Amino acid sequence: MNAVTDLASVVMDLPRRDAQDKLTGRTRYTIDNIGADMLHAVQVRSDVASARILEIDCSKALAMKGVRAIVTHADAPGLHGIGVADHPLFASDLIRYHGEPIAAIAADTLEIAHAAARAVLVRTELLPAVLTMAEALDEHAPLIHPDWQRYELLKEGAPRAGNVAWEAHVTRGDTDAAFARPDVTVVDDCFRVGRQSHVPFEPRCAIASYEDGRFHIQCSTQVPWTVRNVTAKVLGAAASRVRVTVPAVGGGFGLKFDCTIEPVAALLARKTGKTVSLCNSREEEFLSCLCRENAEVRIRSAVTPDGEIVGREATVLMDCGAYGGEQIFLSTMTAHTLGGNYRLGAVKLNSRAVYTNTPPNGAFRACNGVYNTFFLERHTDNICAAIGMDPMEFRKQNVLGDGDIGATGQVFQGDVLRPMLERMEAISAGAERRDPADGRLYGRATTVGTWFVFVGPSAATINLNADGSATLVTSGVEIGSGTMVQSLPQIVAGILGIHPADVIVKTADTDASGRDLGVGGGRTTVSIGSASKMAAEKIREQILEIASEMLQTPPSGLALRGGRVEIAGRPGSGMTIAAVVQRAEELFGPMSGTGNFTAPGVPSLPGCAAGHFIDAIDIPIFTVHDCEVAVDPDTGHVDVLSYRVVQDVGVAINPRAIRSQIQGGVTQGLGYALHENITIDEHGSMEQSGFEHYLLPLAQDVLPVEIVLHEGAPSIGPLGAKGAGEIPILNVGATIACAVARATGRPVAELPLTPPRVLEMIQGHAKALDFAHISPVWHANLARR
Amino acid sequence: MTIELTINGEVRTVTADPRTALLDVLRDSCRLTGAKAVCREGFCGACTVLVDGEAVPSCLRPIGMLDGRSIVTIEGLAHFETPNPVQQAFIDHDVVQCGMCFPGMVMTLTAFLETNPAPSRGEVKAALSGNICRCTGYERIVDAVLSIQDMRKVSGR
Repeated sequence: MNAVTDLASVVMDLPRRDAQDKLTGRTRYTIDNIGADMLHAVQVRSDVASARILEIDCSKALAMKGVRAIVTHADAPGLHGIGVADHPLFASDLIRYHGEPIAAIAADTLEIAHAAARAVLVRTELLPAVLTMAEALDEHAPLIHPDWQRYELLKEGAPRAGNVAWEAHVTRGDTDAAFARPDVTVVDDCFRVGRQSHVPFEPRCAIASYEDGRFHIQCSTQVPWTVRNVTAKVLGAAASRVRVTVPAVGGGFGLKFDCTIEPVAALLARKTGKTVSLCNSREEEFLSCLCRENAEVRIRSAVTPDGEIVGREATVLMDCGAYGGEQIFLSTMTAHTLGGNYRLGAVKLNSRAVYTNTPPNGAFRACNGVYNTFFLERHTDNICAAIGMDPMEFRKQNVLGDGDIGATGQVFQGDVLRPMLERMEAISAGAERRDPADGRLYGRATTVGTWFVFVGPSAATINLNADGSATLVTSGVEIGSGTMVQSLPQIVAGILGIHPADVIVKTADTDASGRDLGVGGGRTTVSIGSASKMAAEKIREQILEIASEMLQTPPSGLALRGGRVEIAGRPGSGMTIAAVVQRAEELFGPMSGTGNFTAPGVPSLPGCAAGHFIDAIDIPIFTVHDCEVAVDPDTGHVDVLSYRVVQDVGVAINPRAIRSQIQGGVTQGLGYALHENITIDEHGSMEQSGFEHYLLPLAQDVLPVEIVLHEGAPSIGPLGAKGAGEIPILNVGATIACAVARATGRPVAELPLTPPRVLEMIQGHAKALDFAHISPVWHANLARR
Repeated sequence: MTIELTINGEVRTVTADPRTALLDVLRDSCRLTGAKAVCREGFCGACTVLVDGEAVPSCLRPIGMLDGRSIVTIEGLAHFETPNPVQQAFIDHDVVQCGMCFPGMVMTLTAFLETNPAPSRGEVKAALSGNICRCTGYERIVDAVLSIQDMRKVSGR
């Protein structure tokens, strides 16, 4: 069977098909479909961080003209979560964070809904609020979830205790022996980062209706199936009673990888029998943002004089906020990020997801990989300084290569990082050093990073139409990254020998397409792409079989191209695919194919990972970043002079689109490295609620990223592809931090590097970080002692 | 209060509180949703429209101040099948991602190129300082703008 597809028929810089409508204002995002012909909902949110609810009195609000329904915890008693079901839709007896939803109101207009929200009376008894992880881990700290032991566990086996929502451990080898070796240098560091807000331009919003006994939710999400399942869970409905459809999504970046407001709209739709819209205001979108979490680490390594890392121990604290959410899953990823990049002798890692009375955090592009890479790469530079080794030489010597084992004992395939480092070295050596020599401090750094593709279940169906076009039905959504309009149709078209424009791509409708984990984690091209490839190959097989009979030529002698089945080597011979479809309809009916995909599972060493959702990474992705900075010693301002990326892409299906993702991802990373910062005030509320105080990178803040796409690393992705959109942000914080540390000669231990922080560092006023709440004795930090 | 506006060449009478933002009139009453309500504070530029030819954030323009003025929104800039040179350059360079900021970008840059048809890279970036994009990292947008050869076509609407 001629199943091998020529890469050349797939790889191209296919432009986006949605650009024209997006550029002419015609694209309707969910938010644009909200109109006067539906009810408008708002949520009543708490204005304290921690309290017991004594009474919720909705009578006055409900009596207001134009108010159609009010819902509270009593209407949606179910709990949801990741790993552990700890999260109610509305606060029930306890308020656990500032801004937590308590009730929701549907009214004829938004103004009436807001007025009614102000009329809802919530009587509370204030409780002490635990606002930091240090407070939460204090042995006398109040429990944020007094009932934590009674929660339903959705995944067994992780240590949990009190305010520690989850722990993920790695224990491989004898670190005590490693640190006790007489020949090693021990390097001990603490680092810390704040929160980063996604700021998608379309806020989270949903339009729900109740039709024929079923919920229909149109929403701005990355995860239609999660919305379906969580809605069912919290509403106590059968999942089959929920339909989710998703138009174009105005940016996600991971914020929309969780279900949040959608069940609220659904609930109100059922209660009123009318269509209900619910849309976060920009202020709400900020104040309830499931940010990239603030985090703290203590890490120490034992390194020999010739640069071998014989032992490493680390404890990472991840602030989940009031509910576990994504941080519970992400505790797993510490093993592959903080525990990644380098060969390690013995290793012990503890990743603790900690409850606080602050707004819940979530998933943000490359998630905890971003700060773990910052921690790891700064620690690596500190190691190099301590043993007197060149940082580039150290990295080239220690990065994981073919046959090396990772933190959890998985065996890596192929030499990828080292050749990438050598490419970066060659590019940098050939480029002019951009030291402005104007009194500013010049620094340059190269860092490495490891991330993964979040593989997992995807399904695809392709209908081959009578005109020779194909309709691809999946649960994918177009969030802006282009996978739905570029890589997916390119893959299908390449296999079927048609033009990508002739592949109709249907966006997610859970009534039409099979289950999917969602669009995020760099998985769309890989997982949905693999399922789509399988579906297309099944159709290809049918086409060749029928054409073989019609042309009296064995399938191996046929080729699909230009919308035709041709006898190989004889362009223009054979027939159109449409003619084959016609013949198929005479023989057995319309042609269709289905495909599916899931994580194949890569083995790790038994017994060395506990509390992990995945023990090994199916598709590692590597990256090398390099930058030059100039630091103004008088103001602390950091200017980025050059930025270079060598990124492992497996195979670049659409090189131009990947470059766009890299430019955009690096820019978000520059924001994280230099000025984006969400802080929590003494009342437990975020201090940044809009664009005035949360500073996003502007056009004048950025520079063109010099990009090399590194192809050829092993991947189980379709045609050898890897996800390319997530990893570009991974190393930016790390690279800027290492460059600023070298420029200033100061140990950068915190992000973002705002001018005041940098100035404090340069002037020597910055105190060395040390965490009293993370013991230097690794075992002392475990929830189960 | 009743206000008469010309929106995309069509005279419209709007009855509303004079403090109502032009953006809300466009999106809610006229159902012209190309201008996006993103920050509503004048920082992001996603709601940019032309008022008598000047690119302004429509979230900060109360309609009470706009009686008799002429408004052009992204919907009125060019027919979608014949994009203007800025739109065409963005299509050709494949710079769009989520797309929420682009209608505003197009409005700002179209007005900008009319006054400065041969800008430098720095001038394009300065012109974009009031239009925030969360997806693209800007540089390829600037490349696309600098590729536009025939500026007369921009102002030829």
